[in-house]
Amino acid sequence: MASHGKGTNNPNVKIAAGAMVCEDCELIGDITIGSRTIIHPKAKIVAEAGPIVIGDFNIIEELVTITNKSSSDGNSGKVLIIGNNNVFEVGANVEAIRIGDHNVIEGKASVGSQVEVSNGCIIGAGCQLNMPELVPENTVVYGGKCERRTQRERPPAQTLQIDFLTKILPNYHYLMKPNLQPRQASVKK
Amino acid sequence: MATYMDVNLVKYLCSCGKKFPICRLYLCKHCLKPRCIDCVQHEVDTPYCPNCLETMPTGEAKLKKNRCSNCFDCPVCGHTLMTRATTHTTPNPEDPTKVITKKMYYMACGFCRWTTRDVNLPDQSVATGNWPELENPNSKRISTLLDNYRAMAQIEKAERERKKYVKRRSHLYLQEKYGLPSSAMKRKGLSSLASLSQKDGDKVLGELEPSATVDSFEPLPNDFFTQPAALDKTTKLPNRLNVPEFQPEETGKLHIIHKHLLMRKSLRCKECEHNLIKADFNPVSIKFKIQLTALNHVPELRILNPCTFTYNKESVVTLTLSNPSVFNTTVTLAAIENETDTDYCTGKIDLPKKELVLAGRDEPSMHVYDDSSQAHLDFKDDPKVIAFRKANKIGFIVKVTPLVKEGDVRVCFLLKHEFRNTTVAALQSESKEPEIVWLEHKVYISLGQI
Ligand SMILES: [Zn+2]
Ligand SMILES: [Zn+2]
Ligand SMILES: [Zn+2]
Ligand SMILES: [Zn+2]
Repeated sequence: MASHGKGTNNPNVKIAAGAMVCEDCELIGDITIGSRTIIHPKAKIVAEAGPIVIGDFNIIEELVTITNKSSSDGNSGKVLIIGNNNVFEVGANVEAIRIGDHNVIEGKASVGSQVEVSNGCIIGAGCQLNMPELVPENTVVYGGKCERRTQRERPPAQTLQIDFLTKILPNYHYLMKPNLQPRQASVKK
Repeated sequence: MATYMDVNLVKYLCSCGKKFPICRLYLCKHCLKPRCIDCVQHEVDTPYCPNCLETMPTGEAKLKKNRCSNCFDCPVCGHTLMTRATTHTTPNPEDPTKVITKKMYYMACGFCRWTTRDVNLPDQSVATGNWPELENPNSKRISTLLDNYRAMAQIEKAERERKKYVKRRSHLYLQEKYGLPSSAMKRKGLSSLASLSQKDGDKVLGELEPSATVDSFEPLPNDFFTQPAALDKTTKLPNRLNVPEFQPEETGKLHIIHKHLLMRKSLRCKECEHNLIKADFNPVSIKFKIQLTALNHVPELRILNPCTFTYNKESVVTLTLSNPSVFNTTVTLAAIENETDTDYCTGKIDLPKKELVLAGRDEPSMHVYDDSSQAHLDFKDDPKVIAFRKANKIGFIVKVTPLVKEGDVRVCFLLKHEFRNTTVAALQSESKEPEIVWLEHKVYISLGQI
């Protein structure tokens, strides 16, 4: 384990109690991770232009990259806020302005730096969003042509999966130690 | 798997005169000729559902309009729908403190996440369907038309019968035309058939109202111009064309689509009427009862690596041959005499004069890495001809001189190889040994650009 202990060296990483952050992931810059959020090994979170705040009950899978990108409009210092109950599947690439709640970014999907994702959206496997926009609630983007439709119900929370991972991950991976006490109430944007 | 990439570079000539990559050809063991998809007879074995793999006789499939009654496709993206189970809780009418939990099912698309709940289809209490069917608004018209065509066909058939008869006895035709009873026909036992069908046809033909021409449409409602388009509530063209009988315009009117059946088919040689491809009867099985693909019987020729060519200059090209047979196989290469496709070749090829011997295919040893193989000594290979030898494969050297200044460098030659005929008929000969025959294939190779 060459990278053992790499992430813990960053003093700007704040991990809430109950979160599972594998040590073998890359956390750069000012990052706050909410309670019961799970970050798999080999994920990469880069708070380049400003801090990244990740809410509760999110799953961030392997090889996911979340970047707070400095764009040319001089809005450096902006905070990338990721809400609660989101799933970032393997290899997803997220540079969004904001991610709301209950979204699923499927494998290898890409959300560009001028995109704001509201709530209950699914960005399908391999789909790319590059144009400046606010993705409306409950939008599903799917297929090779990134077709869209609006679904009636938002995707369900992954509580069972989070429980399962909470049990299984410590058996196989070193975890970072939480350094934030549980909050009384969730931080509201 | 390299066989299935760049397959179009090396083509073999089918007995019908078309060029095909070897993986697309069949070899009839009885005619000992290559056959292709265009010159064999396709036969429907049985329709089956590609999702639940249920098979049914053709007649039943026709009744079900060639669709599976249990499996459905997503009306939005066409993916197969999955059944999802949920539990519904309703308060117990007798005891309000308790609740009844019931398993309910709905269908969801795993790809675009459409669900039957999106269009307010109520959840079902059984897992396999009972989904409401939509009634085709034109079904009555379609069935009258069908009846009519059936009657027409019968009239035409009767007409043909009559003509056969009338040719000999023309005065009878006149009698019958004017409704006169024809004792002669009655005696022949023909009248009943002819007159009955005639009457039936008249009746249906009379009832059918002709199609009306549409010459004007309602103008578009004003909303269409004044209101912003609700694209998320409007279906796309493919969604509508998927169900020509309903063509829903709003996403709320989409309905689950019964899955189309597919055909299991077998292929038959048109000349000797033996089967070339016959699948196992069980649709779950991926095995074949008969599978005479050329790839299993004819040595496969490939280009080893890309080469660079110069006009009118000899280049060395390495080709490979692999032996699908378990026996050692001798191959000879020769130029094609009186080639008809004179436009194809744009280069001259110098072929090895000697016979090439391919080692038999030995499945277990193919997966063992053995570098110290003495095979090239066993076969007394000429290093000027044989570039390498590995299991059932050889690389051999040919010299190609392009005869064009630019464009594709293409060559062709004749590949002759031993073939052990293991058909029952051949095995019944006295020796009980597979009979060795020589097969010839014309091979066309596109070697690359100049
Ligand atoms: Zn053919
Ligand atoms: Zn089915
Ligand atoms: Zn779908
Ligand atoms: Zn045949």
